[in-house]
Amino acid sequence: MPEIRNIIKGCLAGSRRDQELLYRRHAAKLYAVCLQYSGNDDEARDILQEGFIKIFENLIHYKYEGSFEGWMHRIVVNTALEKYRNKHNLYRVDDIDLIPEPDAAPETEDYAGIEAVDLLDIIRELPPKYRMVFNLFAIEGYTHKEISQMINISEGTSKSNLSRARIILQKKVHLYTGIKKKVISG
Amino acid sequence: MAKEGANIDLLFRNGLKDYEVLPPVEIWNNIFPVIRKKQRPVLLLRSAALVAVLLSISFLAYRWSNELTNSSEDPLIAVGDHFIQARENSTSRVQITKQPAGNQVAGTLIEKSASDELPVADLSDTGNIGSSDIESINKYQELTTSNNLIIPPSLQVIRGFSYNGEINSTGDGTMKKFDFEEPKEKINRWSITAMASPTVYLQTELSSNDLSGQISSGEQTRLSYTGGVGFAYKINKKISVQSGLYYASIGNEVDGISSFAGFRQYDYTKGDHNFEVLTSNGRIYTDNADVFLRDYSGDRVQTMYTNDVFDPAKANLSYINNSLFQNFSYLEMPVILRYKLIDKGIDFNLIGGLSYNLLVNNTVHTVIDGSRYNVGKTEGLNPLMISSSLGMGMEYNITDKFSLNLEPTFKYYLNPFNEFSGLKSHPYSFGVFSGLSYKF
Repeated sequence: MPEIRNIIKGCLAGSRRDQELLYRRHAAKLYAVCLQYSGNDDEARDILQEGFIKIFENLIHYKYEGSFEGWMHRIVVNTALEKYRNKHNLYRVDDIDLIPEPDAAPETEDYAGIEAVDLLDIIRELPPKYRMVFNLFAIEGYTHKEISQMINISEGTSKSNLSRARIILQKKVHLYTGIKKKVISG
Repeated sequence: MAKEGANIDLLFRNGLKDYEVLPPVEIWNNIFPVIRKKQRPVLLLRSAALVAVLLSISFLAYRWSNELTNSSEDPLIAVGDHFIQARENSTSRVQITKQPAGNQVAGTLIEKSASDELPVADLSDTGNIGSSDIESINKYQELTTSNNLIIPPSLQVIRGFSYNGEINSTGDGTMKKFDFEEPKEKINRWSITAMASPTVYLQTELSSNDLSGQISSGEQTRLSYTGGVGFAYKINKKISVQSGLYYASIGNEVDGISSFAGFRQYDYTKGDHNFEVLTSNGRIYTDNADVFLRDYSGDRVQTMYTNDVFDPAKANLSYINNSLFQNFSYLEMPVILRYKLIDKGIDFNLIGGLSYNLLVNNTVHTVIDGSRYNVGKTEGLNPLMISSSLGMGMEYNITDKFSLNLEPTFKYYLNPFNEFSGLKSHPYSFGVFSGLSYKF
């Protein structure tokens, strides 16, 4: 299997083979990230497409410092963020009152048996601003301060959105695992 | 609550960490043209650089050949033990002097001026010419018939130099006149040639895996042909530059892919193609909704109509053939240097250069009862191929103007027809071009 350095060199030299190899090697993982940040498949496809075009365009700037996968991942997340900002720049994204207050989360949870595909479905059902904050905080590890700058909301709104996202997710996971248990037992 | 929050965070973070979802096929097809378009200026720059290098080489070759010609401008004509040195120019003034060291007559060059219209021998030292010199001149005269000097090959230092004049001995040891003339041979610098050749294409596989092995073993190239018109400019007697426009048709047979007709009524998809076939030249995409393809011996056919989904026998589809035929046509624009090795009745030339090949046609068909049945086309073919060529040209001059040409030529394509994961093959070809040239 060719080393990633050789593939990058080939891509920079204009080798279609290496460009396609790079895409095929990483597209599936990055597409899962796109789905995680988008509410529908069309949006996810757009993010992946634009993300990869940016990856190829910026390949020359990659310094071989740190993980190449991580570098591509950041580009795709930034593309998703850009799309989110473009879509939500007409109104304040910290207007949390539009979303009904979720019920309190169940106190105890048994997450056993839940699969990645189910988690992805659950996260995609979140309202966009909750999904974005949850992804950036819980998955990517950004702080509320960073998130507030990234999507132009206050830190308080970021915390609030995260809290609401968690409650919704816990509820859905609980519901899902309950249904699954019933199916298995009965 | 904070602990619950952290738990749910961990659940999603770990659960989605290495999760992968295959993206739809068309996404790469949308990405590739965009990045290719952005790379095109680089390709153009490289092509321009290549042309510049070729032109530079041609220019240097031209200069070099000129220098070679100039270095032979002071030829020596040997007559027995004597040498007559003359300039190539026909109207040079020649001085006959006696060399003090020996009994030798030499013609030494005096600078030619504009007023030197007539060749006049400067006989300033004629008084010193001895009897042995006169004998030499008489010997020289013996070699002349009428006014034409015939110089035996053994006495020639520079060939291709003719003497056309008169040497008159006055009997008293003086000479009247030397008249050297350069041969005024008219060179037909331009020529136009119509040539054609059957061509055999083969592939060198630079990378391989199981899939590429499976693909290569199921393919065979078909006899192709190339033909067109070229023109050449003769820089000098040895070197010429050639270009032109040729049409090259290339064929490839993909065995073991069964095709069936009558699938249209069962096709419920809305995609642009139902089947993809992996070949060494790229992926065949079907554009005929009526055709159904299946690879019974491997997994070169990619489709959602797999064995468990659709059975062509149960659906009573009509079997067509077990092979697919890929056809690619290129317009070829060569930049070729020809170097004449042997200049005889049959000339031999060494030929080498580069060609730019522009894709103009791309089809895939199968055959039913001798008739073509369209299947689709090969996706992702390189629109511009660059090939290097090396050959040996034989040229038989029928008349001054016309000649027959025969050129066995080997070509190697510097870039592959197509590139995709795991397979990269560079084609090469061998052809014997034959044709007719007209010089003017």
